[in-house]
Parts: sequence; C-alpha cells; structure tokens
Amino acid sequence: MGRGTELVFDHAGALGLLTWAMIMSVVRLKVPSREFFRQIYVMGVESLPIVFVTGALAGIVTSQQGGYQMTGAIPQYILGSLVAQTVVLEMGPVLTAIVLVGRVGARITAELGTMKVSEQIDAYHSLGRDPVVLLGTPRVLAGIVVMPILVGFANLIGILAGMVAARLDSGLGFESFLYGANLFWHSWDLFYSFTKALVFGVSIPLISVHMGFRTQGGAEGVGRTTTDAVMFMTLTILILDAMFPPLLLN
Amino acid sequence: MIQYRQIHKSFDHPVLSGVDLRIDTGEMFALFGPSGTGKSVLLKTTIALITPDMGDVMIDGESVYFGDDGSLARARRKVGYVFQNAALFDSFNVFENVAMGIPEDVLKRMPRMELARRVWEAIELVNLDPIEVLEKIPSELSGGMRKRVGIARAIIGRPEILLWDEPTTGLDPINTAAVERLIVRLSDNLEVTSLVVTHDIEGGLLFCDRVAMLDQGRLRFCGTPDEFRRSGDPVVQAFQDRAAAERALDMAIEHD
Repeated sequence: MGRGTELVFDHAGALGLLTWAMIMSVVRLKVPSREFFRQIYVMGVESLPIVFVTGALAGIVTSQQGGYQMTGAIPQYILGSLVAQTVVLEMGPVLTAIVLVGRVGARITAELGTMKVSEQIDAYHSLGRDPVVLLGTPRVLAGIVVMPILVGFANLIGILAGMVAARLDSGLGFESFLYGANLFWHSWDLFYSFTKALVFGVSIPLISVHMGFRTQGGAEGVGRTTTDAVMFMTLTILILDAMFPPLLLN
Repeated sequence: MIQYRQIHKSFDHPVLSGVDLRIDTGEMFALFGPSGTGKSVLLKTTIALITPDMGDVMIDGESVYFGDDGSLARARRKVGYVFQNAALFDSFNVFENVAMGIPEDVLKRMPRMELARRVWEAIELVNLDPIEVLEKIPSELSGGMRKRVGIARAIIGRPEILLWDEPTTGLDPINTAAVERLIVRLSDNLEVTSLVVTHDIEGGLLFCDRVAMLDQGRLRFCGTPDEFRRSGDPVVQAFQDRAAAERALDMAIEHD
C-alpha cells in the first residue's frame, strides 16, 4: 500500500472515530451549552458581514454577466430566473462555504492545533475531561446550526443585489425580474440549497477539528496543519458540490 | 505505587526500549536523563497521554492499559499532572483553570461557595495571592505564576500521585528554588507519591528519596541520591559532569 493510500485510510478512519465520538456525546447530552453558544456567535454572528458582501457580489456578478448574454431573442425577464437559480443552487452555498473555510475552519484548526502543541489537549485528558466533547462537538453542532442560516442570508442578499444590478445594468424592472425568478422556481431548489449548506456545515468544522487534534511540531506544525486543513476543506467542499447534482437534481 | 513494566515506545526511532521502574507509595522520586531520552514520554504513559507500543503501567496494583473500562479513568483521578509549560487553558481565567482540576462529577454537585473555597485554598497553597490572580487569564501571568497555577490545578483534586514534568524548566534560579521548595512542601503536606522528571539534577538529588537515570531509552541507574553521586558508571558520571558544567555556565550567565 502506497504512502498516499495509507494517509487517506488514516484520515478516513480517524474522521470516522471522531464522528462517532461526537454522535455519542450528543446522544448522551454531554455537549457544553456555553461553548456551543460561543461558537454560534463566533461562526455565525461574526461571519455575517463577510457573508453579506460575498452574497451581494455573487448576485451582482451573475446579474451583470447574465445580462451581457441576454442580448438576443431571449426575453430579459429570464435574467431573474438565471440570477435566482444560480445564487440559490450554487453561489450562495458554495461561496459561503469557501468563506467559512477561511474564516472559521482555519481558525478552528489553528486554535485546536495550538492547544495540542501546548499540551492543553493533554491537560484535558489528564483531568479526566474529553476534549472531543468539550471542544469538538460544540463546534460541529454550531456549524450545523449556523451554516443554513448564513446560506439563507447569502441567497437573499445575492438575489436582491442581482435584482438591483439587473435594473442598473440591463434596465430590467424589479417586477420583471421577480416574474422571471418565479417562472422557473421550484421549492425543491431551496431544499437543495439548504441540504448543501447542512452538509458543508458538518464538513468544515469536522475536518478542521480533526486536523487541529492531529497537529504536531510546535508553531511550524500549527502553520503546516492549518494550510493542509484549508486545502482539505476546500477540496472536500468542491467534491461534495460536484456530487450534489447527480444525487439531488436528477 | 506506580510500576512501569517493560515500556516500549517508538516514534520515528525507538524512544523507550523496555523500561522497568517502580515508585513506592509516599516516595519522592526524580527521573534524570539527557534531552530526548524519553523521560517525559515515560511520564505521559502513566495516564495514557502517550500509549506505549508494548508494556503496562500499574497504579496501586491496577493495570492502566489492560484493566476494565474504568481503569484509565480511575488512574487519572488518582494522578495530578504538572505540565512542563503549565498547559493552562487560554480562554479560561485562573479560577476556571484551577476548578477544572476537580473531577467532573464532583464539580457538578459542589456548591459554589465550596468550590470558591477549594480554589482559594489551592491558590494559597502554591504561594499566590488569590485576590491578585483569580480573575486573570493565563496570558496576563508571568512564567513562574503560570507554573504555580498549573500546580494548583493538579493538586486541587486531592490526588494520591503527583507527576511533575520538568517543573523548573524556563524559570530563573530564584523561581526554580521556590518551585523546588513547593514540590517538597506539597509532597509532604499532601502525603502524595511524587515522580519528578527534571534536568535539574542538583535539585532532584537534594529533595528526592530515590533517583533514576534514563539513557538511550533504557534505565541506566536507579538508587538513592548518594548512590547516584558515587556511581562508578561512566555514563552516569559523564551526565553528572555535563550537568554540573551547564549549571556553572547558567550561573555565570545569570551573574553577568
């Protein structure tokens, strides 16, 4: 077995064990509520400004580029559908996830990694406390709660910004934009968007916690592991994103 | 009583190669050895902070690794561990850090006043002023104060065994002497078994009942401080000479 294959199995096994430990801590109602709410604030409330900006820019760019292509026989109100569908199905969940990888995922890995190399994780063990329960589970649960909410905001802001951009750039009125957005709208699209958000909301904190707990080798090790974690999370988001259409849109 | 039985541990290379060691109840025991010989690794195997590849640790006759489901938890409850750099929790203040030393089930049932009293008492035992430090977070404390808070956290749970991982590393000579006095006083007052991993052999020889030396992952020497000083083993002698030279250099630097 090659080194790469060994590493994949090593990560997969450790992630499986970590997930199981977290599920058991939830089942046994052992999750510390103070840490959970602190993480909700850190991941959710503090991420709102950057999620608003990202969502708005995604909506504006989609609207402008869509408008650029609507010069032929296609009715302009289709732009409303294009913006709404693109934002809800793809841009909202994926860009929010990518933003959270950098803002939240890297932070969690660096924080837990620093705790690992400074023996704070060992200290939890020595005091008979389980760091997975006290540090890992609240972060993953907070991710599950905040990610759909953040994606909801990103979707809403993206569509509104796209609507304003369509008016300014292509001269499309709000009513026509909303008519187009409604024309091809399925409530399933929203379910699809929030399902993506939920899966990303589990993946980002889970991977970052897993990588944080594996950190070795002082400050350099924290830096290396954080970089690896960001790459690992980004790739995971993109791979999971590619799996969604065949699984849920066919 | 702590018994290490044939402890083997390798990382990229062998670190411990079959260490057998016994520390009796109530004993103060120092473990010496050059850097990288596995002293801290051996200490961490006591309560499975590092799991040995082979071998077992017995605490009061109960196996840590081959006992029932609760044996590790019971071992950890008996042991107070003082980490090399204190390992205080960054986001907690001193009160919360020290309170974490009380077992979780006891802490949940403990009235707030009783908890405050226990934390206060532990802080005073390590010669700190509770009023001055209780509300501070670790980054607001000096190195010596952090060490003492780490000690307070280790003793508040009333352990039967104290494990000290390089308790004087990084401290100036005054703080080193103060921490060494603290180790002796706490070990006597609390009637605990103490295992001290230290590079400061002068201090260890002064305050410990027995000492041992690890070399290249094996136990090279085990005996009383006098036997250690008089040892004819060239490796033990060389280690003592090197330690004495390093100490003289440290003192000269401090003097300048």
